[in-house]
Amino acid sequence: MRKTVFHIVVTLVLVLSGCNSRNEKEQGPKKMAVVISTLNNPWFVVLGDSAAERARELGYEATIFDSQNNTSKEAEHFENLIAAGYDAILFNPTDSEGSVSNVKRANRANLPTFCMDREINSLDAATSQITSDNFSGCVALGEYFVRKLNKKGKYVELLGLVGDNNTWNRSKGFHSVVDHFPELEMVAQQSADFDRSKAMEVLESVMQSNPDIDAVFCGNDAMAMGAYQALVAAGKADSVKVFGFDGAKDVMDAIKDKKISATAMQSPRQMARTAAEMADEFLKGKRDFSKKTPLQVKVVTQENIDEFGVYGSDN
Amino acid sequence: MNKVVKYSILVVVLGLALYTSVNIKPLDEIKKSKSDLTFNAASYASDFMANKIETLPAINTSDFLANISDDLENYAEQKGRKLGISDEYNFIIEGKATITAIEEEYVSVLLEDNKELRIATEFVFGNAIRDGSGMANIDDYQNTMDFNSISVELNNIVRETVVPPFKKKAKIGDALYFKGAVTIDITNPEIHGTKVIPLIIKFND
Repeated sequence: MRKTVFHIVVTLVLVLSGCNSRNEKEQGPKKMAVVISTLNNPWFVVLGDSAAERARELGYEATIFDSQNNTSKEAEHFENLIAAGYDAILFNPTDSEGSVSNVKRANRANLPTFCMDREINSLDAATSQITSDNFSGCVALGEYFVRKLNKKGKYVELLGLVGDNNTWNRSKGFHSVVDHFPELEMVAQQSADFDRSKAMEVLESVMQSNPDIDAVFCGNDAMAMGAYQALVAAGKADSVKVFGFDGAKDVMDAIKDKKISATAMQSPRQMARTAAEMADEFLKGKRDFSKKTPLQVKVVTQENIDEFGVYGSDN
Repeated sequence: MNKVVKYSILVVVLGLALYTSVNIKPLDEIKKSKSDLTFNAASYASDFMANKIETLPAINTSDFLANISDDLENYAEQKGRKLGISDEYNFIIEGKATITAIEEEYVSVLLEDNKELRIATEFVFGNAIRDGSGMANIDDYQNTMDFNSISVELNNIVRETVVPPFKKKAKIGDALYFKGAVTIDITNPEIHGTKVIPLIIKFND
């Protein structure tokens, strides 16, 4: 008899404490997860920090997770986030194809996902995708490139990661302009994986067979800095024009110092803040989101550099 | 004897199951059906240019110029179209004008109310036609590059079919009707000037 009473009491205590902890969760702040492809790149660190900062400003508990450019690691994060009862994911995917299943899994668990910077190849998985308008940015950059070279000359293109949609959106935007000027000749197009050291090595090697180039178009600013270093080493920094993409601090400084011709300003900060604000609106009941929200990318040149801050800051 | 019948029936059943579960098609046929599903930006743009631009609603250019110089931001918000979060608004405009200069990159025209405008003949790029007309919605495209390809193809058609006869026939003093697309950046309206990407040019004969 005593044993039965004891069991009933224990069961009641467990049930009540369970109810209590659920109430605590309901009463405590809601949680947003910020899942970033890699924190080994300052651009993505700004993206992650800005998303978490805006989520906190809006009253959420925010935690950043690093996928280390690994889709399996990213899948682990998603499983843990679903189990831990997160309310929304601000997500920078590792892979446009490989990340789709992770977002769909979250979707099935009623966990809304807002993609930042990189898109996934699915229209019905993420609640919304907020990305830079890379293509249009490179159309504008291409027009500036053509004018700076007076519509003629030899140039090299350094591509980013070949498996990344952004690499090709940038390259195609640029070529949609430049290819219409027959006196502009691309003597080499090679990938340097968005990496500064690799860009330096690739350009040094290209210049051995093409010493008379007039310009280098790079798919990001890290590669633009690597290309510039290679040109300095070859004594050609004054005669060859370098163009980048991002709006990174070192390139913005180099544009001010007339070392680099131009870049295209992305805003990880605005992208991240927009994603956090959309997630907040979702959690407050809004449902009619545009599936894709591109952010304008502006061309920064030696003529207009004073209008811009680094990475689209408020300046 | 029984065993032979049993095995024969089993073989027939297995054979039937295999026959109905495997469907062999020539590889060419599979490739063709896949490419049929691929979005064809060129034909989409071509259909738009051939069948939609005549009836495409356009703003009178004199009204447009007056309004953007009065209150650019409000006017752009009300009448312009933009893509996502952007300071660039796109419009479709039309008007009657007289050619005043023929330059390498554009033809300058004077409107009936003496306002000036440039019609682009070399730098025909960007999204002014796609976004100004609202002919495509980014949310319908799984891969954003398909959406971007629409602009590339529209500009190609203008470059190949609208600009050459225009440049060939244009002389200073000619009167014409034009319909075209224009992009204005509200933070810096001078970036693009008021440069029209031509969709229709009709000379007054």
